[in-house]
Amino acid sequence: MSDVARTTEIAAVDSPAIVKPKARRRTARAMIDRYQWYEVAAIYLGIAVFLFFVLAPFIEGFLVSLKPLAQLFSTPYSFIPKNGSFDAYFNMWTSVPMLGMHIFNSFFISSVVTLIVVVIVVPAAYAFARFNFAGAGMLLGLFLAVNMFSGAVLLIPLFRLMRAMGLLNTYFAMIVPGAAFLIPSSIWLLRTYMLRIPRELDEAAWVDGASRLYTLRRVILPLAMPGIVVVAIMTFIGAYAQQFIFALTFNSKTEFMPLPVGLFAFFGKQEVQWNELMAASFVGILPVMIVIIFLQRYLVAGLTAGAVKQ
Amino acid sequence: MSQLSLKRLEKSFNDSRIIKGIDLEVAEGEFVVFVGPSGCGKSTLLRMIAGLEDVTEGQIEISGKVVNDLPPVQRGIAMVFQSYALYPHMTVYENIAFPLRVEKLPQDEVDRRVSAAAKVLQLEPRLKHRPGQLSGGQRQRVAIGRAIVRQPKIFLFDEPLSNLDAALRSEMRIELMELHKRLGSTMIYVTHDQIEAMTMADKIVVLNAGEISQVGSPLDLYHKPDNLFVAGFIGSPKMNFINGKVRSADGSTVTVDLGKLGVLSLPRTSTAVAGQDVTVGIRPEHMQLGSGEFTISTTPNIVEHLGIHTISYSTLPGGENFIGLFEGNPTIEDGKALDMSFAIADAHLFDSRGLAVY
Repeated sequence: MSDVARTTEIAAVDSPAIVKPKARRRTARAMIDRYQWYEVAAIYLGIAVFLFFVLAPFIEGFLVSLKPLAQLFSTPYSFIPKNGSFDAYFNMWTSVPMLGMHIFNSFFISSVVTLIVVVIVVPAAYAFARFNFAGAGMLLGLFLAVNMFSGAVLLIPLFRLMRAMGLLNTYFAMIVPGAAFLIPSSIWLLRTYMLRIPRELDEAAWVDGASRLYTLRRVILPLAMPGIVVVAIMTFIGAYAQQFIFALTFNSKTEFMPLPVGLFAFFGKQEVQWNELMAASFVGILPVMIVIIFLQRYLVAGLTAGAVKQ
Repeated sequence: MSQLSLKRLEKSFNDSRIIKGIDLEVAEGEFVVFVGPSGCGKSTLLRMIAGLEDVTEGQIEISGKVVNDLPPVQRGIAMVFQSYALYPHMTVYENIAFPLRVEKLPQDEVDRRVSAAAKVLQLEPRLKHRPGQLSGGQRQRVAIGRAIVRQPKIFLFDEPLSNLDAALRSEMRIELMELHKRLGSTMIYVTHDQIEAMTMADKIVVLNAGEISQVGSPLDLYHKPDNLFVAGFIGSPKMNFINGKVRSADGSTVTVDLGKLGVLSLPRTSTAVAGQDVTVGIRPEHMQLGSGEFTISTTPNIVEHLGIHTISYSTLPGGENFIGLFEGNPTIEDGKALDMSFAIADAHLFDSRGLAVY
């Protein structure tokens, strides 16, 4: 029986005096997903309020980047730029000549962190998902505990460590601590994902003569791809966000500075080039957007459909 | 020489013994079914033969070689899982070819074997699809295809049909039997469904709580169950059991006092049962309406009319439930007293330990 037929039947039962359901729109929606117009309005209003809170800083930031500097300090303040232009997007490259390098550094540091994390996390998560070894539970608990420290708490010990090893002012100092702090949560995330892949697939491959590594490569990796992509995206964003604090502490060389630290160059002795700073921020997050758009194609849901009868 | 032999095989998880010493011989080309209620250890036993579970004690021999510590692929077995265990990201072709890819066979050999398997299983038009696009029966066939291409000595099936609906199940049952005929390989098949066991097996192994209750051909088990467990497990509806006490056993006849039902004399040579509490078993389908060699008068609580059969459920004076299954559509009703009877030759007798008395 089709949905429509079922609906009419119910309507017929509900209304003894036969009312034609003429006002009822023919939608493919299930009954549980149907709303009155005021409910729909309320839902969208809620979404709008929420989105406004999230997006307002971005909107204001973008508007600031369009305004000439003088207009930023006018009273009364006007949110809409009067004679807005994209000049800041061109001038910023000359007022901070290293800007391109900073953007590259940010991208480079995050990419290497992501690469390290994925390479380490995939086999680790597989091991935690499939093997029973002594101390597995304790190790996982320890990972969770490590996650409770923010990197900032350990900054001073890390600094002393880096200094003792002579690693200050290198990419290494900004990459390795970043990766280390992101690995534990990623192992948890990917392990949970891999636990959802039926164990029978491993067993079937084992019965057919495949080694553990072959099974990992041919069976588990393709099926865990959406989980791996989530880990990659989260790591990339996490590395992008946390590099500020590591770069600020472990690095004083301009050519190694990532964007968040590099933006300080817009703080002049007399004034701050707010419009160019905003413009640089927006250009700076562009690589992140591109990476995420590229990766999310692999976020295919329901890839395990048909593996086993659930 | 038997192809597979299990010798005093045992399996324990921590302290609990799951498999308690199993001896079994399987000849080449036999279709053996392990059957038993859930939790009896039949799947564990199969997984031990497959090499997916360790052996705690005892030996598994395949073609005369002890394989206890060999990985599955070196045992010459192939296994079909209950859940199919297909690789959802691969096409049907690649799923079937998987074991051959592991072996790194050349592409033309892979092609040849996969297409041969696909032909046998009628999967040729489906080779380019993914498992997600297939029906349950087709998925099951892909799983079987993956087992066939390796040309194993022994096929292991772990409840392969339990995920299919009733109609498809009987269809696949026939297909599997045809496959067995065509390939002639040894097959070991685990199921909890006694109909599958009865219809497919050359030899049924009834397992109960980690032990073999009885091994035999389907009709052996049906006509000559060794004990109460097998008697109750094989046959549907279940065999009726009536409690009684032996009055006399003179070496040719055992006379059993069935309380209010009367006294039943059975031709048995055993004298050991004299004075024991015993159980008389009679299958529902061996009951006839009207009086006969031994007549039971009872009032059915419920009567089911199935067209081909009519089944009556009643309670005996001793409190036992009693089922009668009659051909066709006789005029019986619930709440109305009736007489039914059975032939003495159809009755089974079990002693106080639950073992059959002959």
